[in-house]
Amino acid sequence: MHSCNLDVEISKLSKIEGHADLDIKIRDGKLEEVNLKVMENLRFFNQAVKGQSYAAVPQLVSRICGTCSIAHLTGCIEAVEKTLGIEISPQTLLLRKLTVYSMMIRDHALHLYFFAMPDMLGIDSLLDVPREKHNLIHDALAVKEAGNNLSELIAGRAVHAPFEQVGGFSHEIDAAKVPRIIEQLKKIRPTVLKLIDIFAACDWKFERKTNFVALVTDDFSFLEGKIKDSRGDVIEEKDYWDHLHKVVLPYSQATGFEFEGKEYMVGSLARLNLNKNNLHESTKRDAAKYIAKFPSENVYDNNLAQAIEILHSVDHSIELLKNNKFVKEEPAKPEKLSGKNAGAIEAPRGTLYYALEIEEGKVKELKLVIPTAQNLVNMKKDVEEIVRGFCATGIDKAELEKKIIFEVSKLIRAYDPCMSCASHFLRVRWL
Amino acid sequence: METKTRLRQSFGEASKKRVGIFSLTCDEGCSIMLTEIFNRKLIPWLEKMELVYFLSIKDKVEIKDLDIALVEGVVTSERDKEDIEKIRANTKILIAMGTCAMTALPSGQRNNFNINQLKEIEGHLEKYNFLPKALALKDAVKVDDNISGCPIDEEKFVETFEKYL
Repeated sequence: MHSCNLDVEISKLSKIEGHADLDIKIRDGKLEEVNLKVMENLRFFNQAVKGQSYAAVPQLVSRICGTCSIAHLTGCIEAVEKTLGIEISPQTLLLRKLTVYSMMIRDHALHLYFFAMPDMLGIDSLLDVPREKHNLIHDALAVKEAGNNLSELIAGRAVHAPFEQVGGFSHEIDAAKVPRIIEQLKKIRPTVLKLIDIFAACDWKFERKTNFVALVTDDFSFLEGKIKDSRGDVIEEKDYWDHLHKVVLPYSQATGFEFEGKEYMVGSLARLNLNKNNLHESTKRDAAKYIAKFPSENVYDNNLAQAIEILHSVDHSIELLKNNKFVKEEPAKPEKLSGKNAGAIEAPRGTLYYALEIEEGKVKELKLVIPTAQNLVNMKKDVEEIVRGFCATGIDKAELEKKIIFEVSKLIRAYDPCMSCASHFLRVRWL
Repeated sequence: METKTRLRQSFGEASKKRVGIFSLTCDEGCSIMLTEIFNRKLIPWLEKMELVYFLSIKDKVEIKDLDIALVEGVVTSERDKEDIEKIRANTKILIAMGTCAMTALPSGQRNNFNINQLKEIEGHLEKYNFLPKALALKDAVKVDDNISGCPIDEEKFVETFEKYL
């Protein structure tokens, strides 16, 4: 019984962004190997950006990922601005915060309702919920729609937002539409609180000692600040790369990363663990008992942290829209056309780092670090520990396989991995 | 297959179109845009369609007996080619969704690389069985209709998709 041989192959993990397979090899009842295979075909962005104008590259890298395109766009724009000494206006910063909030609302909602919730309800797809719970589908669509409409208002579109550019925004905000968007955000607020309740009630637990890393922002707006970790290290955005080290994952079209030589986790859980005191006052008031749960080492609390971040994004967006008049502005101009610098922002799935070298206005080199790539090593170690635990229980082979497939898929989903993003990277000779 | 059809008829689902949404090599921006179009349209469309295959929201099933396949992305590898041929063989209508599927760009941007750029990627292309060039869907299989945009334009999507519902 204890000495079974088992090969578990999960091909095309569903309800994640992009394509990944997972192979698990058990010999004589012991875990021998876990291979997390990112099966996305590369599209060679590192090469494609070379020689392109600094103004065009943000829209190009936006195409790395459909769901968090705004993160790539914003992260790349910030790196271009830092490299070329472009000083953006206070209004541009506000609009960028709103743009990022709009993404967080719809991206987290997609993950929580459509990817994570079916596992809790014991169904395959949210569309399969029993009739008495159909309101969950309506809730999901309403929350996503509020985020989508905020994206449209500020940045022109939720996917590959056309208005957000180097130096500023190309279009003026349509003031007539602002009150309706505020109303819509207020309307989904109780729905988001309900979502927080649902994930707070979830009793899934998986804990393994690890380090958490995030950009810690004064107003939890995902854009500025210093990178911190659970051990108290503080790093400037531009120096982040120096603390990372690439890990080759066999059979995979993606590369993993370690921070200070060890696995770590980025994303909502890391942000709540490191920065919960900076959440919006209304969020802190209405979600106090759930926020008190953090810091947490339970990977499944990443779902709860995402739900809390939706509420924060709604609350801060309402405040910013209410208290500001937006005027037409010319984009800020570069003070030079050559340079080398880097920047980081928090994308929905964690810290996103862009480093650029620009020469005479053309991109010479681009280096980026994607959230999911940073989580891959941690994810793999978690999977190994879970499988080892199941092997030790001595359950029979069929039961073991079923349990592994369900629990491991569920755990990977809690990370909200994005394989489209993770697979952009090709090892290149970097300076 | 006939038994299946009869079974579905007895459950009153026979009149519903069986729809599959597929992502080949791309950023999946079109299917994300589609999930945003769903915010307003999913509920009425579910009266007329059964969403059979959509990895973003449900587990994998065998690709079979589809009425409409919506496909985003480019055909860049042997595996993509096998996938699109399988989809084609199992659907009545195949719709290319977005600029990648229609023109191979931007996801097939390697097609426009210069010699230096190609040199950096050639090892990878070989190792992972990439095709010599990334292909638009129409260069791999017969395509019945197209929805342009990067990502897909909402109005065009609704107009085209509803023609076949």
